[in-house]
Amino acid sequence: MTRTQKKFKSAKKGRPGSRPAHYANAREKARAAAAINDVYEDLPEKGRRNTVGLDLDKHEGQGRRHHSNAGLDVEGRDAERPSARLLGENEEDEQLGSDDDEEIDSEDAFEDSDEEGFAGSSFRRKRKESSSHQGSGSEEESGSEEEGEDEDEDEDDFQISASESDSEASPEALTELNAFLSTLDPEDNKKRKQDEEGLPDSRNKKRRILSERTEPGEESEFGARGSGTLKLDDLLAPLASTSALATLKKSTKALTSSSAKTKTLPAPLPQRAQERLDREAAYEKTKEEVEKWNTTMKRIKQAEHLSFPLQAEPATRVSNLELAAKFQPSNEFESAVDKLLKSAQLRDEDITHTESLKMAHLTVEEVAARRAELRMMRELAFRADRKAKRVAKIKSKAYRRIRKKQRERLDIPVEDEDMDEEARMKAEVERARERATLKHKATGKWARSMQGREGLDQDQRQAIAEMLDRGEKLRRRIRGEDSGSESDKGSESGDEELDEEGIRRKAFEELENIRTEGEGDTSDLKSKSVFNMKFMQEAATRRAREANTQAEELAREIALELGDAEGSESGDITENAATQNTSVVQRTGGRISFRPGASAAATSIAKPLGSLASDTSSVTLQSADLVQDVTPQGRHSPTPTLTAVTPLVAAPEPNPWLAPVALSSRLARKKNEAVVHKNAEISAKSSNKLKKQVAKGEEEKERARDDAILEVEVDNVLTIPDPPTTSSSARKKGKKPKRQNQPSTSAELPADDDDSDVHSEMEEQEGAAGQSVNAKGVKAFQQRELVALAFAGDNVVEAFEEAKRQENESDAPREVDTTLPGWGSWGGAGIKKLPPKPHLIKKVAGIDPSSRADFKKAHVIISEKRDKKAAKYLVRDLPYPYTSYAQFEKSMDTPLGTEWNTRVGFQRATLPRVVKKMGTVIDPLEKLA
Amino acid sequence: MVKISVLQHAPSAHLSIRPGDPTPTSRNLDPLMHPFARARERTRALNAAKMERMFAKPFLRALEGHIDAIEVLCRRPGTLNTVASGSWDGGILVHDIAEQKQVHRIQDAHQGKVSGLCFSQDNGLLSCGVDTNIKFWDISPRDEEVQQKPLHIFSGKSPFNSIDHHRSDPIFATASNIVQIWDETKTAAVSNLTFPTATETVTSVRFNLSETSVLGSIGSDRSFTLYDIRSGKAERRVTMQMRSNALAWSPTLPTLVLLASEDHNLYTFDVRQLSNPTQIYKAHVSAVMSCDWSPTGLEFVSGGWDRTVRIWKEGKGTRPEVYHTKRMQRVLSTVFTADARFVISGSDDGNVRIWKAKAHEKLGIITARERAAIEYRESLKERWKYDQEVGKISRARHLPKAVHEAAKLKQTMLEAQRVKEERRRKHTRAGESKPKAERKKVVLAEQS
Repeated sequence: MTRTQKKFKSAKKGRPGSRPAHYANAREKARAAAAINDVYEDLPEKGRRNTVGLDLDKHEGQGRRHHSNAGLDVEGRDAERPSARLLGENEEDEQLGSDDDEEIDSEDAFEDSDEEGFAGSSFRRKRKESSSHQGSGSEEESGSEEEGEDEDEDEDDFQISASESDSEASPEALTELNAFLSTLDPEDNKKRKQDEEGLPDSRNKKRRILSERTEPGEESEFGARGSGTLKLDDLLAPLASTSALATLKKSTKALTSSSAKTKTLPAPLPQRAQERLDREAAYEKTKEEVEKWNTTMKRIKQAEHLSFPLQAEPATRVSNLELAAKFQPSNEFESAVDKLLKSAQLRDEDITHTESLKMAHLTVEEVAARRAELRMMRELAFRADRKAKRVAKIKSKAYRRIRKKQRERLDIPVEDEDMDEEARMKAEVERARERATLKHKATGKWARSMQGREGLDQDQRQAIAEMLDRGEKLRRRIRGEDSGSESDKGSESGDEELDEEGIRRKAFEELENIRTEGEGDTSDLKSKSVFNMKFMQEAATRRAREANTQAEELAREIALELGDAEGSESGDITENAATQNTSVVQRTGGRISFRPGASAAATSIAKPLGSLASDTSSVTLQSADLVQDVTPQGRHSPTPTLTAVTPLVAAPEPNPWLAPVALSSRLARKKNEAVVHKNAEISAKSSNKLKKQVAKGEEEKERARDDAILEVEVDNVLTIPDPPTTSSSARKKGKKPKRQNQPSTSAELPADDDDSDVHSEMEEQEGAAGQSVNAKGVKAFQQRELVALAFAGDNVVEAFEEAKRQENESDAPREVDTTLPGWGSWGGAGIKKLPPKPHLIKKVAGIDPSSRADFKKAHVIISEKRDKKAAKYLVRDLPYPYTSYAQFEKSMDTPLGTEWNTRVGFQRATLPRVVKKMGTVIDPLEKLA
Repeated sequence: MVKISVLQHAPSAHLSIRPGDPTPTSRNLDPLMHPFARARERTRALNAAKMERMFAKPFLRALEGHIDAIEVLCRRPGTLNTVASGSWDGGILVHDIAEQKQVHRIQDAHQGKVSGLCFSQDNGLLSCGVDTNIKFWDISPRDEEVQQKPLHIFSGKSPFNSIDHHRSDPIFATASNIVQIWDETKTAAVSNLTFPTATETVTSVRFNLSETSVLGSIGSDRSFTLYDIRSGKAERRVTMQMRSNALAWSPTLPTLVLLASEDHNLYTFDVRQLSNPTQIYKAHVSAVMSCDWSPTGLEFVSGGWDRTVRIWKEGKGTRPEVYHTKRMQRVLSTVFTADARFVISGSDDGNVRIWKAKAHEKLGIITARERAAIEYRESLKERWKYDQEVGKISRARHLPKAVHEAAKLKQTMLEAQRVKEERRRKHTRAGESKPKAERKKVVLAEQS
């Protein structure tokens, strides 16, 4: 507690007017008490110091004599200490004398004990000061001083609480204290006043004066000033001659010894001050204690959900082992049983004991072996047990039957060994009968009996197999089928029933199979999946085509064979078809190429052998033209067998303009490319790539030039009926005919392309449609004109703008003149139009156009009228915990009900903060040990 | 026999198969099937608020038996149903709340009023009165004759005002002009714990429930004093503007103490920081005579001289739930039951009244579905409380005319006071008198 607080409190108390005097008095006394204390502490230390460095002390004394006038500071301090001590000594006498009246004294001293907390603090300050004084003496001493302080703290608890004031003792406070101390002595006071006139530095001055005052005192046996301090030895010195000195010295030893143990205690504080300090300390302690609940309280306050009681113990089930371990016989019966068990030595611990006894004379290995054996037995027993249980559970009647039979069979072999002749004969007869009756099945009596048997020899097994085979063959014959057509070809391979016709038929069937497989693939594509994507489709068609070519080749081969066998007419035809110079329309990789058949034939020779399969991968490395397939493939050739068997009779006439174009524009361009084989070295590849990149740019330019100067006659139009499926494909396909259809506009083509980039997709589509429409004629223009005619007088935009302007005007702030002309005004001659009176002008506060919500929004009109119905549902102010409207909106956003949430979500959202279980006592929080 | 064809319901489709299972719901998950979520929920919230007010019937029962005003009520710790009441006629009644009847009746337990009651650990009931005696009663079920005599009598020197038992130990504290600690087995007080300069009457003393060695007391010198029986000292005293009539320690927030003040307000103090209250609770229009925490520590009840019982939420200083009946007089004592579901009030008219702590709560068994519906309604109300209509309905409370008028008058007076203060400030030199926070005004002095 600071002193200011004390003062404040005392002021609040509002005691009578005598208070200040009282207060000063009390303070003074407290001061005195403190001084006493100081002295108590000072004394032993002084003694100690003297014993430690007596010569030094003397030296000091000499020094002082030397520098009596010069060393102001040191002298001042040294001089003050004795004076303080003297002051204390008087008091000490009083105190020691009135030990019993101490309480009364203290009571007197602190009449207003309510507001005095200063005793402790002032005391500490005094101590501090004194210690600082001593600090100037020597280091050793300061060390011992600290020790003393430590002890003090052990002794008095009030000092613990007062330690705050200790730390806060500022230099200001010290000077204040000094001033206060000096006022205590009236004579001193006078002197001081005198000094203050002379010297402004009162602190140093005061001390010097004190020393001046004490020094010139006349020397006597009581006021000896020789060596500075008066010691007990000095007092005893005169008694040296007497014989009682030794005993006296012994008795005074306790007084003279400087050890810390015999240090005198400081005087106790007055009771009330002490109690206050105790209360302070106790309160701090309680606070500390209570502080331990802090985390708990915080958690309770911050918890989203609380379930009361908070400290409910979780329900746990007690295990049998736990119960057994804790068991203590509680009643007579239990104890009787326990006793019996004990006497019979059947309790758990007894059993283990006996076991250990038996084990005692065995070696470790033996014990281990025995244990292993035991474990094995236990394991086996356990397994058997488990299996038996499992088997016992099976309810199936069939299984039971089988089991039963098995059991019987297990009994039979015993008899089987010594099967007599008769029985064997019987079995033979049975077999013969079976064979005769064509019961060549595994279900016959004999067969079944043979099956059941475990140990069949080779002959018997063969006999069974034979019979089964035979049965199978017979059955086939009954069905009237050839054994060759059946699937088990391998077994029938030995039979020489197949003829050439059969082989041929089989081959054609295989071909058919391949084709149908391809068709199945295409039909699959209709489904929605990855296979529906374009590249996949293409791949699929390619694969189908390959399959078809395979089939075709096969068919050709067969046909050739046939030709060898029967004739050569059809073979000629096929050769003709191959050599005929026909144009081939082919589509590879989404691009349709038109080529005369001759070139196709020529390229087919150039085609590398292995490139058939790796069609797609080779596109990048080899020119596309080299990879063209031999046979014409297209949408219009779905039956390769037909093309193979029947020659290409319906092949169109070679198009005279098509071939040069294709050759000049595409083939020529591609020829620049170097062919790099897949297996070529990497360096070669990379160099080629570089070359390609360089060439590409040039090529691009060239192509653009070519396109620009492309000249095709309008009349010769090749229309490919290719209806657009998607927008992108429409675009691509739309462009191709465009180039060929509109040669006149071909110069503008690049510009057109740019436009198409800018416009939206819709427009593009429209454009594409327009192109296609264009082909038909001028119909589109007619349509547009029609539309324009239909909406001729409809100025929608202007009408909208007008409406908006009107809306703005009607809402704008305006002034209304409410003057009613004629009422009370002159209506006679010389009438003049007067301006409206200001109080008759009514101002309507509308909405400024610039502050409207639709300001600068040309396409909308937003009404500024207040929606009265909606206003009911609006929240006017932002509710407390929220910091922004967005936050609040968000919190209201998701509905709570079951219609919009899952069951768990609903439960979580509606869980109340506090859950109490009905009928449970909620105890206050408890400290858990 | 005629063949009857019936619509068959498979119970598994709409009932839970096993007891713990959730009820299977059949709903269409398509969000398009449930449009207007907000509008619908608002309507539901509105209905919920209306239903709450419709079903708000808090009063359950009045228990008669006392001739004079009921001074003190106390519930038996660890039980749900046992509550004892002491009256100005000197009689003590022990009630069974569940069965709503008297269990024990001790007539003329004390000369003059019974000023304090508390339960001891085993079947013991301690009562103190203004006849300077503390009596220890045995309330185990025996015949009436035996019960009319106390087991022990502890006699003091001055009339006792309050008594409270330690939570676990067999010691109790009394308040007369000093605070004393007694041992059940000893005839004289074990120790005195009074502030040295305190000379006035101590009106009530209470043990802290969690920090069991800490005590608090209030006195007619407008003070609240903190004690600790470990140090055996009064540790700190706070003097306030007006005296307090009752105090209660929070059961879940052990540092928190609630004071029912004569100035119509309730205050919660944190004992670590006694210079100002943590919260002021303003709604009573007359002196608050009693207060008690709910066992959850999140609510508390107060009874006032204005003939109302109010239920507050911890930390929310306004708009408490108000209970009143036509015949209920000044409420001198209030108590929460141990399951935090009921409130018991004892008033000047000599009746003990039982109220529901939540006015619209449905008593009795509630099925899981119903509970879900209730919880849904509650959360809807909570969410939509900012809506004008919903908020208005759920805030509205009917008050007796006297209370209403008094509240209005109080409002006027406070407003006038405020205006006056403001004017005064306006006419003093600038910065001379600063407005003081309401919380800072409460405590006059804190003494150690």
